[in-house]
Amino acid sequence: MTPFGRFLLATLSGLVLAGLVHLTVVLAIPYLSGRDALTRSRSTLSNDTSVLVHPARVGGPVEAAGDWLPPQDPAAAIGVCAYDLDDGPVRVTAETGPLLESLSLHGRGGAYYAVTDQAAVRGTLELVIMTRRQFDEALAEAGEDERNRDVRVVAPGREGYVVVRVLAALPSQQAMANKAAASVSCTIDGPDE
Amino acid sequence: MNTTAKTSRMTGMIRGMPSPAAMRRPRVRSRPSGRTTTVALVLYALLLGAGLGLASANWATRGRYPFGGVALGAWTAWPRIGSRDADPYARAIDARTGEVPLALGEGLVLTATQDEAGQRLDPGCRYTISGTTPPARAWTLTAERRHPAPVAADAAPVPRTGFTSTEILRDRNGGFAIALGPTVEPGNWLPVPSGEGALRLVLRLYDTPVAASTGVLEREGVPAITRLGCTP
Repeated sequence: MTPFGRFLLATLSGLVLAGLVHLTVVLAIPYLSGRDALTRSRSTLSNDTSVLVHPARVGGPVEAAGDWLPPQDPAAAIGVCAYDLDDGPVRVTAETGPLLESLSLHGRGGAYYAVTDQAAVRGTLELVIMTRRQFDEALAEAGEDERNRDVRVVAPGREGYVVVRVLAALPSQQAMANKAAASVSCTIDGPDE
Repeated sequence: MNTTAKTSRMTGMIRGMPSPAAMRRPRVRSRPSGRTTTVALVLYALLLGAGLGLASANWATRGRYPFGGVALGAWTAWPRIGSRDADPYARAIDARTGEVPLALGEGLVLTATQDEAGQRLDPGCRYTISGTTPPARAWTLTAERRHPAPVAADAAPVPRTGFTSTEILRDRNGGFAIALGPTVEPGNWLPVPSGEGALRLVLRLYDTPVAASTGVLEREGVPAITRLGCTP
């Protein structure tokens, strides 16, 4: 083989290798990143309520909050609470008010469920997040005549986080939105329930 | 580029030196350069692969989402990033920034970096944003800079960065017109935010039925961004 042919072959294999490296790195970033929302939210695992990570900024002094999110809607207050389904299903309860509020569930693969306050029953949004196995167990344990009114959501993975967004449509609603975003309860569902 | 230069320098070095293997075994000495160039070429291929692969992965996962954008006038929406169908690039970008995308059931984000005529939004120009928005329970329209200026903690009053659908002033028919510009204007004046870099408009639709399918999005109107003039 001529020297130029060898060089061409080396360049070609280098390019193929570059493609492989590129794909591997892109696929690996969500698992290796220390700045992603899943890793950052993990500090809220021990909390029973959501933690405000982005305060609404529509008027008046801005409330202090952990600010690791990139620029968000200034009118939205965002709270986060992480869950780990190893300890049992997680019950998420939000008391909705007059403001637009939405709950979304995120796993490693992205958002998998979302619901807004329009689905609230008597001012309360309640979800139970469980793994497929916990869901099957709950079905098997339930009696014939028992009727369960929980909204059960099967999570794609063990770990994830709940995001609550509350919209402060007017400057006067800022404090209320911040409070609502930080008051969603995420507790481990007891086995007796 | 850098890698190639480094490799060629290395090749020269290796070629100049008598390789220890060649000295020990005189039989191979007849073609000493064949073996060293092979080593150099393999090294070159490895470095090229690693360098190009890492650099391109870094480039592709910073900034905007590369795939899945739906263009509507001057606006672009990425309906799939808020679902489990998000492509790996969008996931990697979110993982690097810590972004929590708006889930499909929550709403939809539309961004614009250009005006209706296709020109980039210029922080020194005046624009009007008017028309209708797709059906949504609430929406907010904000202006952002790529590198926002740091906000002083005691800055009062906080400069307006956006409008919500509740607070905006409307005309008799329910329409609205937002005046975006660096100087004070009557009506719904949205000041150009201070900072460096490109200007971007973000329209967030909350609790909207259009998120479910982009076909609906195309039928519904989006606000038009028209350039009025620029201050020299």
